Amino acid sequence: MNNQLSPIWTHLTSEGRNTGTWRSALPNYQNQPSPCHGACPVHGSIAAWIKQVKDKDYHGAWLTLVENNPFPAIAGRICHHPCETACNRGELDETVGICSLERFVGDMALENGWVFPDPEVERTQKVAVIGGGPAGLSAAYQLRRHGFQVTLLEVSGGLGGLMRHGIPAYRLARDVLEGEVSRITAMGIDVRLGVEVADKEALARLHGEYDAVFLATGASLPKRLPGLDYDQNFVMDSAEFLAASPKAQITATGAHVLVIGGGSAALDVARSARRLGREVTVMSLEAEGHLPAQAVELTEAAEEGIRFVSGAMMVSASQHEEKVTVQAQMVDFQPGNGPGKFTAEPIKDSTFALTVNTIIPAIGQDADLDRWSGLLSAEGPVLDTTPGNWQTNHKGIYAGGDVASMSRFVTHAVGMGKEAAHAIAATLATDLPAPPPSQQAEVAYARINTAYHPRHSRNLQELAATDARLKTFDEVQQPLGPDAALSEAARCFSCGTCIFCDNCFFYCPDMAITRLGGAYEVKLDYCKGCGLCVAECPTGSIHMQEEAR
Amino acid sequence: MKDTSYKDEGQFCSGHVACAGCAEALSMRVILNAVGEDAVGVVVPSCVAIILGGHPTSSARIPFIHGVLESAAAMASGVKQALVAQGKEDTTVLCLAGDGGTYDIGLQALSSAAERNEDILYICFDNEGYMNTGGQKSSSTPRAAATGSTPHGKTTRKKNLIEILAAHRIPYIATASTSHLPDLAAKVEKAKTIRGMKVIIVVIPCLPGWGVADNAVAKVSRLAVESGVFPLIEVEDGLKYTMNVDEKTQPIGPYLDQQKRYRHLSNEDREGLQLDVDESWNRLVEMADR
Repeated sequence: MNNQLSPIWTHLTSEGRNTGTWRSALPNYQNQPSPCHGACPVHGSIAAWIKQVKDKDYHGAWLTLVENNPFPAIAGRICHHPCETACNRGELDETVGICSLERFVGDMALENGWVFPDPEVERTQKVAVIGGGPAGLSAAYQLRRHGFQVTLLEVSGGLGGLMRHGIPAYRLARDVLEGEVSRITAMGIDVRLGVEVADKEALARLHGEYDAVFLATGASLPKRLPGLDYDQNFVMDSAEFLAASPKAQITATGAHVLVIGGGSAALDVARSARRLGREVTVMSLEAEGHLPAQAVELTEAAEEGIRFVSGAMMVSASQHEEKVTVQAQMVDFQPGNGPGKFTAEPIKDSTFALTVNTIIPAIGQDADLDRWSGLLSAEGPVLDTTPGNWQTNHKGIYAGGDVASMSRFVTHAVGMGKEAAHAIAATLATDLPAPPPSQQAEVAYARINTAYHPRHSRNLQELAATDARLKTFDEVQQPLGPDAALSEAARCFSCGTCIFCDNCFFYCPDMAITRLGGAYEVKLDYCKGCGLCVAECPTGSIHMQEEAR
Repeated sequence: MKDTSYKDEGQFCSGHVACAGCAEALSMRVILNAVGEDAVGVVVPSCVAIILGGHPTSSARIPFIHGVLESAAAMASGVKQALVAQGKEDTTVLCLAGDGGTYDIGLQALSSAAERNEDILYICFDNEGYMNTGGQKSSSTPRAAATGSTPHGKTTRKKNLIEILAAHRIPYIATASTSHLPDLAAKVEKAKTIRGMKVIIVVIPCLPGWGVADNAVAKVSRLAVESGVFPLIEVEDGLKYTMNVDEKTQPIGPYLDQQKRYRHLSNEDREGLQLDVDESWNRLVEMADR
């Protein structure tokens, strides 16, 4: 107070007046999960790492990514990306290309040789992981991060499972696979290749030697197509075909290959055969537009000259010299309740014939559960596990991936490996409680103030030219360049994740918000509770909360 | 992402008594900070006077003179002359008034000051009515809007003050909105560099007067701009028109839907208002093309 002024002069500021008493609700800064995070099989904090990409903190983005998934370069290529399906931005213009951004960060990590941080503590407990596919590698990685002594047993001669033996190089370059797998084994994991855990006795013995076992042996038994004699030399199973070298693939196939199936594996077979110069037809029970393969795979396959016969069923196949005559019939396919269940009603007077040289059925794989029967109980076609922690009926033995679930996607397997690893860690070490499942609702589109997000179409990855594609097994999808990646990251709404844009600060008519550098504070003395900061938040990360007085 | 930042050096103080969520208080925050310390304010009866005052306190860091409703521009002219007499030519004289003190009661003083090209920065907070006396209509109230004195909707159009001022050929006229905060700040900064009469009209969706939700003033202002109801423009020397947002991206409907003062409208009324907007917009486009 300035005592020299006469009392008739204004000599005080309004700051002595406590307008906070007017308020009935108070803004509350609360990060909330985004829909992509909820849909992601590994719950990959997507809004958080894309924010780091926006800030050009690429290493930070990678560290956030690998908390949940050690394979960003792989997932960025082959994930079926349910995150993008869930993306709120789809309601404004087009969903964000999350996969292409994940690949951008993952590739940068490989180029720069970024390595995982060492475990904070070394622990004495030992865990055996059986199966070196995505689920097993993910579990081994998470357990090693926690400092456990991990032994990884793999029956084949190389790690990667389906990623190595099932996914062709034109979708997943082998140096990328090698790079991301060797980065995991370099953490100090005892890898034993060519080791089979053949039966329940071997498994029980192993469980006796280790504090916990994670079983991720995948689905190794091909489903059999009725009416097809697999002993004929013109029949080759899809898994065997995909695991074979290109040379062996050439020897095994004739000029016209019929692939039976409509999923990703069928498309992988068809497109590989096309690259060997074969004429290829894909026959699926599902009608056109309903094939379970990813839309982008179907588009690319069609570009590559693959012919589709959709909504049809093979009835019989017979060979005369080099030619195989396939009798087929159109069907009315109806999906059933749950994965792998369906009905296919033949349509009258719709039979037709195809002449081919080779038939490759790709109708799915089953897990080999007989090996464990008597020790581990099964629930239908998969092992019986406790939801959330993946423990089998046998205490201390956990299972994940295709042996424990019908969700036949690589990233689902990675997610199961992560969840099981956290459950094992919480059992073996009391200082590592399992992270509680998120109960928070996801941010709805209506909470995003789209005035701050100008319309911008998606930055697309370029594809290699079709004729060039057919000559090699080089990757089809080309990476986003740095500018396109930044532009794509900028399209992300950051749903539920504060990006410190200061809109709340600048929009407050009462100067009631203080910037603290990495946080905001509401001045309780002045906030009148209008909610303008919430309305003008571009990310939906502020909420009004009623105040009881 | 679109930017909302502007310079804030604490020239407007918390603890003022504007309604919660008031667009006028928000605009004052931007304007007072853009004007800076070297300024003297003049204010006439209006919500601004209430937000600023409450003797013996002030929410502004610069000194303000509170005067009578008829004479905002006349008082500001006098203050400027006095400053010049003291050798303080560079001190900004900031004159704040509502639409009642500008379009109606203060128009004579405003016109005279404009005609003399006084070196003042005049801000009109246009909430389209006498909102702190209970919400009566002013000559700025748009056609069809319900007010305390036009309960079934005003029958005549909003007065076109921009063209009146442009006819005086003053150096600078601009419109602004709280949906575009950096634009508002930039217009004040630009006006500060111009000698002579400057007028900025800021659209103020009034929470009680328009029947707008407490958290919605920015949204309503944004819709006003996007629908072309309140175009963001600049007029230099009364002749050179510039449209700062040169596209109408919304029909009038969403703008009307946010406000209780328009809820009595029939579909025909709404179509009529759309025609008004289209006509005014086309006229502006023509002038900007000249």
